[in-house]
Amino acid sequence: HNRRENYRFVRRGGGWGIAMRFRYAMVCSSNQNRSMEAHALLKRQGLDVASYGTGSHVKLPGPSLREPNVYDFGTPYKKMFDELRRKDPELYKRNGILQMLKRNLSVKLAPQRWQDNAGDGVFDVVMTFEEKVFDSVLEDLNNREQSLMKAILVMNLEVKDNHEEAAIGGRLALELCQEIEGNETWEDTIDDIVAGFEKQHRRKLVFSISFY
Amino acid sequence: MVGIMASYSRERLEGLASSAKSATELPPKLQRLRNLRRDLQRDEPVFPTELLPHLFDLLSDQFGAVRKFVAEILGEIGLKYVELLPEIVPILIKSLEDETPAVARQVISCGADLFRSTLEKVAVQGLHSSELNDLLESSWTWMIKVKDEICSVAFKQGNSGVKLCAMKFVEGLILLYTPHEGSEADFNITILRGGHPVLNIGDLSIEASQKLGLLLDQLRHPAAKSLNSSTIVVLINSLSSVARKRPAYCGRILPVLLSLDPLSFLKGVHGAAANLALKTVFLSYLKCTHPAAAPWKDRLIGALKEIEGGCRAGKAKDIFYKTNGSIQDKDSTEDTKVSVDDNPLCASSDVAESNFGRKRSGSEYNIDLNGDALNGKRARITPSVSEESTDGLNGNDGGSLPRVAATSTGPSNSRGVSDTGPVQQLVDMFGTLVAQGEKAIGSLEILIKSISADLLTDVVMANMHNIPPNGSSYADGTNELVMNMGIVGSDAQIKYPPSFVAAVLSLSTAFPPIAALINPRIPKTENEDEEVFAVHVDQQMFPAEDAVLETGLLASSDASFPENEDDSNVFPPNVHYIKNIESGIPGLVSSAQLDDSTMNVETATKNQNASFSGNLLVDAIPSMSVDKSEEFSPKAAATDSTSLVLSTATSVASAPQFVLPKISAPVVDLSDEEKDSLQKLVFLRIVEAYKQISMSGGSQLRFSLLAHLGVEFPSELDPWKILQEHVLSDYLNHEGHELTVRVLYRLYGEAEAEQDFFSSTTAASAYESFLLTVAEALRDSFPPSDKSLSKLLGDSPHLPKSVLKLLESFCCPGSGEEVQKDLQNGDRVTQGLSAVWSLILMRPGIRSDCLKIALQSAVHHLEEIRMKAIRLVANKLYSISFITQQIEEFAKNSLFSVVSCISSERGDAETRIDDCNKKDLDLKSPPNKPQPVISGMDMPSEATSSASLSEAQRCLSLYFALCTKKHSLFVHVFSIYKNASDPVKQAIHLQIPILVRTMGSSSELLKIIGDPPSGSENLLMQVLQTLTEGPTPSSELVLTIRKLFDTRIKDVEILFPILPFLPRDDVLRIFPHMVNLPMEKFQVALSRVLQGSSQSGPVLSPSEVLIAIHSIDPARDGIPLKQVTDACNTCFAQRQTFTQQVLASVLNQLVQQIPLPMLFMRTVLQAIGAFPALSDFILEILSRLVSKQIWKYPKLWVGFLKCVQTTQPQSYKVLLQLPSPQLGNALTKISALRAPLTAHASQPEIQSSLPRSTLVVLGLVPDSQGTQTSHVQANETQTSREQQQQQASESQQTSQSEQFSLPLSPSKTDHQEPSQVVASQSQNSPIGTGRSEISQSQNSPIGTGGSEMSQSQNSPIVTGLSEMSQSQSSPVGMGRSETSQSQSSPVGTGQSEMGQSVQVSDSSAPAPMSHTRTSDSQASSQTQRDDDEKTENTATSENEVTKSEKSKESSEEEEE
Repeated sequence: HNRRENYRFVRRGGGWGIAMRFRYAMVCSSNQNRSMEAHALLKRQGLDVASYGTGSHVKLPGPSLREPNVYDFGTPYKKMFDELRRKDPELYKRNGILQMLKRNLSVKLAPQRWQDNAGDGVFDVVMTFEEKVFDSVLEDLNNREQSLMKAILVMNLEVKDNHEEAAIGGRLALELCQEIEGNETWEDTIDDIVAGFEKQHRRKLVFSISFY
Repeated sequence: MVGIMASYSRERLEGLASSAKSATELPPKLQRLRNLRRDLQRDEPVFPTELLPHLFDLLSDQFGAVRKFVAEILGEIGLKYVELLPEIVPILIKSLEDETPAVARQVISCGADLFRSTLEKVAVQGLHSSELNDLLESSWTWMIKVKDEICSVAFKQGNSGVKLCAMKFVEGLILLYTPHEGSEADFNITILRGGHPVLNIGDLSIEASQKLGLLLDQLRHPAAKSLNSSTIVVLINSLSSVARKRPAYCGRILPVLLSLDPLSFLKGVHGAAANLALKTVFLSYLKCTHPAAAPWKDRLIGALKEIEGGCRAGKAKDIFYKTNGSIQDKDSTEDTKVSVDDNPLCASSDVAESNFGRKRSGSEYNIDLNGDALNGKRARITPSVSEESTDGLNGNDGGSLPRVAATSTGPSNSRGVSDTGPVQQLVDMFGTLVAQGEKAIGSLEILIKSISADLLTDVVMANMHNIPPNGSSYADGTNELVMNMGIVGSDAQIKYPPSFVAAVLSLSTAFPPIAALINPRIPKTENEDEEVFAVHVDQQMFPAEDAVLETGLLASSDASFPENEDDSNVFPPNVHYIKNIESGIPGLVSSAQLDDSTMNVETATKNQNASFSGNLLVDAIPSMSVDKSEEFSPKAAATDSTSLVLSTATSVASAPQFVLPKISAPVVDLSDEEKDSLQKLVFLRIVEAYKQISMSGGSQLRFSLLAHLGVEFPSELDPWKILQEHVLSDYLNHEGHELTVRVLYRLYGEAEAEQDFFSSTTAASAYESFLLTVAEALRDSFPPSDKSLSKLLGDSPHLPKSVLKLLESFCCPGSGEEVQKDLQNGDRVTQGLSAVWSLILMRPGIRSDCLKIALQSAVHHLEEIRMKAIRLVANKLYSISFITQQIEEFAKNSLFSVVSCISSERGDAETRIDDCNKKDLDLKSPPNKPQPVISGMDMPSEATSSASLSEAQRCLSLYFALCTKKHSLFVHVFSIYKNASDPVKQAIHLQIPILVRTMGSSSELLKIIGDPPSGSENLLMQVLQTLTEGPTPSSELVLTIRKLFDTRIKDVEILFPILPFLPRDDVLRIFPHMVNLPMEKFQVALSRVLQGSSQSGPVLSPSEVLIAIHSIDPARDGIPLKQVTDACNTCFAQRQTFTQQVLASVLNQLVQQIPLPMLFMRTVLQAIGAFPALSDFILEILSRLVSKQIWKYPKLWVGFLKCVQTTQPQSYKVLLQLPSPQLGNALTKISALRAPLTAHASQPEIQSSLPRSTLVVLGLVPDSQGTQTSHVQANETQTSREQQQQQASESQQTSQSEQFSLPLSPSKTDHQEPSQVVASQSQNSPIGTGRSEISQSQNSPIGTGGSEMSQSQNSPIVTGLSEMSQSQSSPVGMGRSETSQSQSSPVGTGQSEMGQSVQVSDSSAPAPMSHTRTSDSQASSQTQRDDDEKTENTATSENEVTKSEKSKESSEEEEE
């Protein structure tokens, strides 16, 4: 994988030290709304972040409830954008899909599936936004060969799948990741970070630890 | 070549290593190390050992990142070059205690790899030889050291990230040391079985077991307390991983996990994370197929239940089911789902089903979402195939359906036998899995495999109870049975192999109810509760169904079959539904019913199916309805069977054993277009069926159906548009409201349900456009008075922004021309506002949005609209406590904005208003666009100001309205007033009268009035005026204003409004201030004073007014003389008020004042001018003035002479009364008088009465020196004569004055006036006998001040004498005069005193001219006089003293 040279300042024994940057993964089901919102935010703040979806396909709303636009992971956002704009610009503008796709295509090329991208390397922290996704990520990690002995923190923050909540969820994710980023290891501080987060935002945050 | 490469590389590597060492910055160091590592990864047979020291050095580098990286490189080297291990490992072990956790973790990671690979090598080598080579052996020794080191970290007390890693290492160790089954490619310790020189499998197992024990110990109670949640989570996960991979350890691990109660010893986040880990672990065990896991399932379920804490009993089982379902989900669900979605036939789902599914998806088990989704889809899969399957079944194996039914409903039936327990649970599980259809096949297999043979036997036995007597041969495996049943001999087998199987499986969804129907006496199981519940929900949603049941279905069933009633709960609503459709389709029912009546159960079913599949109509109903009916066709059949049983009254008991005959129905394969058109047809048909349905009473159901279909249909069919057209074509008769609301609720539910983002987005947008379309159409097609629209808005579950905008366009119509065009505009506004009102009351969620609309409307630029809105806001909304504050804020802002925005500067007005509009908070009502257009350079300024005025009114009206509700708000109007521009002030003044009248003089208002902000005087005036316009102002108000005048505002105008209500004294006190006002204002004040109030009459009489004016002393009161004369003129101008009588009375009073008022003569002159008839009276006044020695007041003297001149010839008489020096003076001043006067006096009879001195002056007799010399004091000759003369003339005049007074007081009842006159004269007369000049000082021997002195100046010698004599004679004189004059003035001197005092004090005394009555006050003053007479002498002298003092003072002043 292509890992950039980056370091972060961390708290170390009352002072500061340098450590390698953590790598974050934002995961939702379609890698469109929640994970991309968080991805965009974290990226803008200079964190090393990637994003994924755990569903089998990328689903976008269609003209009716039962006619979603279904894409394969890997289909460029640009392509979806162009296609939907051609289909019904009014509709997709109204429900915010076009704006969302536009944002996404400025962040990265195409939605990626978590399960299919084990080759992307080692993450330190994975944020998921739905318990189903959380479970999928954990399960996928469990199914991989765990030989690196490298712990990975998987956290789930429940975020409703709409634009507004995604914006809120993205901000919370950013805050959380920045907090984690400031510590040399998350292993020793995660309890306090999570407790503090839950207390401050009155939102439930569950986490688990898996290994690469 | 290779050698060269190697050596090159070797040098390069060294170079890299040393440069990495020497670099001081982290990035270059890492970069070089990274290059080094890359080079090392090339395949080199021999490692450059000289590199190692460099690397070891780097292991103590200052940067943790470098150390970690070096450790990683060393690990890789160790893996590759085993021979180096003895060198590397000791160094690594040291690094295990590195201060940077990342380094230690890296060491563990390397250690794990090295350990594993070394172990494998050792194991493998041992297999082939009885001895290991030394190198390997020493490596192994080192690796064991590493292992022990890491283990010690893992089992150390406390928490750390390194420990997590170490524990993971231990997990790996346990796995390595224990054998595993299966053909995994991994190293398996079992290869050691043959015996190994170093490794003993038994020992390894023991060690693994021991390590496991140590891990477990950490989780046991006391130890676990000190752990943080990360450690616990990792422990749990590791242990569970061990248990999964080595099921043999289940027995040790699971009890510990199960007894672990994180909540009991961990708080908050700890508990939550641990709980989650446990849950995941437990769930994964439930999936575990190993026999060792099976016995734990009950406990696992129980534990899961506990974790969820207080969840419904069925939850845990649900989890299990769904988990099983999701085994397969993980990989394939998504695909399946999509394919399901792609299948148009599956696009529908039953209302009950989807609700049910949603309800469950709302549970915390989000992990089961996949499974849930399946549940939802399941229903959709069923229908399309069930038809086929039914056909197939009927065609091939008539007995299979009931058997399936019996099998799958096993749980419910078997309940009678064994209630709960593992067997029952398994049966339930099977049932549910079977119910899940195709997707659950995998899970079923796993389940079956995982059950021990004994248990499976029990399950089968338990299930036997459910199998009908003749179907006993199917105990050999549910799965197989189902598969076979579906496939054997079916015509459709080849055509639909996979989906067909699924279809058969899916049939069982409906089984529990069927089972209940078939065997109604068997009590329902828990398992059914959900179904029942779902049905209940459904029935609540469609209350009309009962009616449908009665009318459409079996009218008699309830009556004849009591159990039927019980079962009706279990009847899926769709049964009625089908019936309903049937009844809605003419012909269908009749044929079916006809057949029914004669047929047995089997044929009935057949007919039922036949009629559905064979009938063109049914074919024409696209997937939706077909699905519905077919999906439940078994139930329908069962229902029919009951009904037939009813009608035939046979074989009720044997009903469970019925066998379905073969039914062959055509299978129609439709293209997508055909399906679409069929769907559309169906939809249209349902839409059009409103008449029949409304008569049969099923409209509720129809609405739900339409709403539901709308959601399900592909959008090309545009179901919403069809519905909208239908609704709007006849809103009232088509029950448009109900239908719309139903659609809206359906869509809203769809949008709000926590589904994926996408369906909710779509539904939300459909919702919005539907509501908006209907609302707009209602607006356009109904009159504003119609309530439909507001009812719709009120009933809609949610009002999106666009709808609020629509509402806003009602309340705040935009540009002017539109407004003009729409004649109903006003009503429209009313309509909008009333809708807004009710929304505010009933919809807390959008309250503030609605309020905003109302408030905007309340500052609308059109007055009509504004007033409507204001009425709503002020009268209705303002009193609602939770929005009062908001309204007030808004109004206040609007009020304040008006001051800051609207300027009186003409040029700026336009732009300011525009600015104002812009920043006008968010009340942004559409600005009057014409304004900027007109505002050219040449725009007339009045247009500007009128625009400003209207703008000001726009912003102020609301506030004023609020003021009437809450008077204290009014204070802000005062406070802004000062800085307000003219238009604003104008607007305020326009409003004030109405406003203040409404408010009345409340205490709040009085408070404001009592302390008005400076600059608000004008406003205050208007407020006061308004307040006093009506009935008598309250005493509080009067008091407030007076206080205000006394303390704050010295402007007497402030008192004008209450002048009529002030006490007389107060008015007199402030009278000088009034006189000092400009003429117009004085006139106003004057009229108020004179007019008084209706209750108490005039405050002052006209004569009092005049007297008050005359009593003003310009010098003392600081009022210019001009003001006083003007005031006089004003009075004279009002002849109606200031009549002749008034003047006479006034003059009469004034003349008695000592000193005489300054303007007295002026007034006399004016009186003559105004009322010539008064001349006689005036003459008398004049003669009294003579007696008052008028010549001593120089100013008055001039006036006197002028008066005399004016009134000649009558005034000659008066002239002649003057003492001769004064007469001379007069004649000198006005020479024109001399001749006529002389002529007059020369008349014999007059001449004879004249004193000689006078005659001398007139030249009628020659001057006599002798007489003259005796009067030294006077400059003029004949003084004594004159005085004598005067005395005489005065006594003469006394009688004259009596005569003169006659016309004024014709009735003798009132003696006051004449008596006063007399008295005043008699006062003088005794003095006059001597020297009148001295007589005054005579009376006041004490008070002889300056006047005496001045007199004595003139007569230094005589004065003393005359004084002496006079002071002696004074009492005598008085007495004398009394007696001598008693004839004319019986009361005497005292009375004159009284008269004078009365004049001042007796306010209520009637005008002296009112002769007809004797007033009380007069009477009282009469009696007073009588009393006073006794003390007359003393009193008189005293009074005289004071009076003379006064007169002296005033005369001094005059002189000054």
